[in-house]
Amino acid sequence: MIDFVNYLLGGISSGAIIALMALALVLVWRSTRVVNFAQLGQAMFTTYVALTVRDLTGSWILGLVVAMASGLVLGVVVHFLVIRPVKRLDTSGAIIATFGVLIALEALAAMVWGGDPEAFPPPIDNSGYEFFGRTWPFSPYDLLVLVSVLVLVLVLSIVFTRTSVGLAMRASAFNPEVARLSGVRVSRMLVLGWAIAGLVGAVAGVLVAPLSTLSPTSFDIFLVFAFTAAVIGGLDSLVGAVAFGIGTGLVIALVSGYSDSSNAPLVALALLVLNLLFKPEGVFSHGKARAV
Amino acid sequence: MDQLVQRFPGSRLAVNAATAFVIWLALTWLNQVIDPLMSYYLATAAMYATAMFGMTILLGLSGQVSLGNGALMAVGGYVFALTSLNWQTVPILGTPWNAVWSMIFAGIGGVVFGLVIGGIAARLRGPYLAGLTLGVAVGVPAIANRFPGLLGGENGLMLQVPYPAGGYQSVSEVPSDDFSEEGSGEDFGGDEPLYEEIPDDLFDEAPVDDGFAEEDMLTDDDMLTEDDFLSEDDFATDEGFEADVDSDLDSGVAEEDLLTEDDFLSEDDFATDEGFEADLDSELDEGAADELVDTPGIGDSDVGGDLDVAGVDSGFVIEQWQASVAIAVACIVGFIALNLVRGRQGRVWQAVRDDPIAAAVSGISPSGSKVSAFVVSSLFAALAGAVFAQILSYVGPGAFTLGLSLSLLVGIVLGGRNSFIGAIIGAVILVWLPEFVLGLSADRGWEDQITNNAPNFIYGLLVVIVVLVAPGGLVGGVQGLLRRGKAGSRSG
Repeated sequence: MIDFVNYLLGGISSGAIIALMALALVLVWRSTRVVNFAQLGQAMFTTYVALTVRDLTGSWILGLVVAMASGLVLGVVVHFLVIRPVKRLDTSGAIIATFGVLIALEALAAMVWGGDPEAFPPPIDNSGYEFFGRTWPFSPYDLLVLVSVLVLVLVLSIVFTRTSVGLAMRASAFNPEVARLSGVRVSRMLVLGWAIAGLVGAVAGVLVAPLSTLSPTSFDIFLVFAFTAAVIGGLDSLVGAVAFGIGTGLVIALVSGYSDSSNAPLVALALLVLNLLFKPEGVFSHGKARAV
Repeated sequence: MDQLVQRFPGSRLAVNAATAFVIWLALTWLNQVIDPLMSYYLATAAMYATAMFGMTILLGLSGQVSLGNGALMAVGGYVFALTSLNWQTVPILGTPWNAVWSMIFAGIGGVVFGLVIGGIAARLRGPYLAGLTLGVAVGVPAIANRFPGLLGGENGLMLQVPYPAGGYQSVSEVPSDDFSEEGSGEDFGGDEPLYEEIPDDLFDEAPVDDGFAEEDMLTDDDMLTEDDFLSEDDFATDEGFEADVDSDLDSGVAEEDLLTEDDFLSEDDFATDEGFEADLDSELDEGAADELVDTPGIGDSDVGGDLDVAGVDSGFVIEQWQASVAIAVACIVGFIALNLVRGRQGRVWQAVRDDPIAAAVSGISPSGSKVSAFVVSSLFAALAGAVFAQILSYVGPGAFTLGLSLSLLVGIVLGGRNSFIGAIIGAVILVWLPEFVLGLSADRGWEDQITNNAPNFIYGLLVVIVVLVAPGGLVGGVQGLLRRGKAGSRSG
């Protein structure tokens, strides 16, 4: 039982981060109906930027802010250079193009910063709290992660539900034609979606890096986790992405704890397969995943 | 040709067989005349082409973006390694096991996995399918860690290179973390292809170590046979020996008097050194080639170098043999693929890709068609994986990364996803570009960090550009230009 609690506690922060990553995927999907497989490649790149800024200035906060800004810019750039021109073509073209971006970004990061894993030191203590005479796998840093994710999700939900921009974004995601007729500049909303997704992904990258190490390919596995969470959540549901992001993180933490962390990708794969077999449209969505 | 096919139903088969055979003949001839390093590239390109024929069917004809083909190559590679390491005889037939059986079983493994993954994947569209197969590409190699005893865990499995007769010289599992086996001189390390070309009995007779000099230099008999050194016979033998150094090193060495003479002149040492120097280049190239295998993959991995080849005939060049296997497999697979695509099944796949509902109305099962595309591409991928295992003499999670799956996607997109020519061109690009960048880097003096990753950066950019500018890849682009040129000349 104490193991169970330990594993769950250990999975909370990574679950929260996976939720952010899934959120980024969902934001892009809602705006352009494209799964951005380069999303975590972009996040990896901005995390390297954050690490560089942090090493130069010594300020973690400044690193985070620069990463968020560069994530936003990168999202917009990818949208304008890659997705907008390709969108009128087939969907497989868009998918392939995002993988092309992923490959290029990973290689570029390896060219600039080297391919070896680097440590990304946490800004505050990452050793577990002590309560009741034992050390729990929940550290001040985990608390920081959790608070950051909650704040970000809260801000996003306020933007989406309480502001006119959010309403316009939801309208263009729900029905671009009608939104356009109602005077919404749909194309701007698409750009905004990519920008916010880039920003959210950048935050997720900076937060997750101290939990392991940073290398050009170290986020590949999170792409699988985030995709799993996003698809189970319904791919266009923000609430679903957050809920199943945390859920996926907890399940992976439990399985890794009870068996071995190398099983994590298999668990994600199993979750994905089960979901696609039995509820392919996702839990929070009305879309259609099946072709036939 | 269509008229011909209508009149003689069997002639399409004949045409396809002739095409495959002519290509096989040309490549086999090429393999005989090029040096071992080029043979190695040829083998790798043929291996990529084999896997990408499956991508042509899956992505081009059936319209499904799959990243799972690297994982399916892992299935083929592991089945090949396990069966060749553990099975001495064919289960029911009882005949001795050989590499062909391992290939067959690798293909069966691919079909089984293709059925499972295809059964799930065929019900999904676009991004869901891509995401699921992404999970497969990341997840399946992790299975090796699940069964460290059977599959070798993170270290993978070393395997013997098949002997030309089709079998194996000795089927034994080499511990992957311990290259050297005590006693035998040819097992010094995994990175010395030198031993492939110099007969190993040379090392038995005259070990390169100091043991040689110590034992023979100090014996009195040697000191007393100085007249042997002065006699003409010995000089004659010596010349003959020198002339024969390249072709056959051990002819003279085995003889007693020559050995004695060598003690004084230390000629044998010279000969051995020459051998080493001559092979230094190819050894270095080999190192580069090993890197090359890794570079297309995005995840960097240290795949173990070439395994030693125990007791192989002199004159047997391992790269040439690997290339001949890879070419044969690629041509057989290409023949099967041509028949499928030019026949009814090809039209079924196209029909489902273009309009699933119309296809269903015509009595075609869309999901069945998608599953069959998956199974065929899995079969091809598994066979390519088995060839890959032979080229590396190794299987392991580090060889079948997500990077491998991405490379296959890159290759097929750049070459052209709608034709087998595109797959072949893509395979050549995958092998050629890293080598080209290596050449550039040698001229400009780039850092390793840049050199090793520049190919992937270029791939990524090219993929985006190709998708935007010429979705049909290189082949599609050229076809489009030709068509435009024709239309222009007609109107003008």
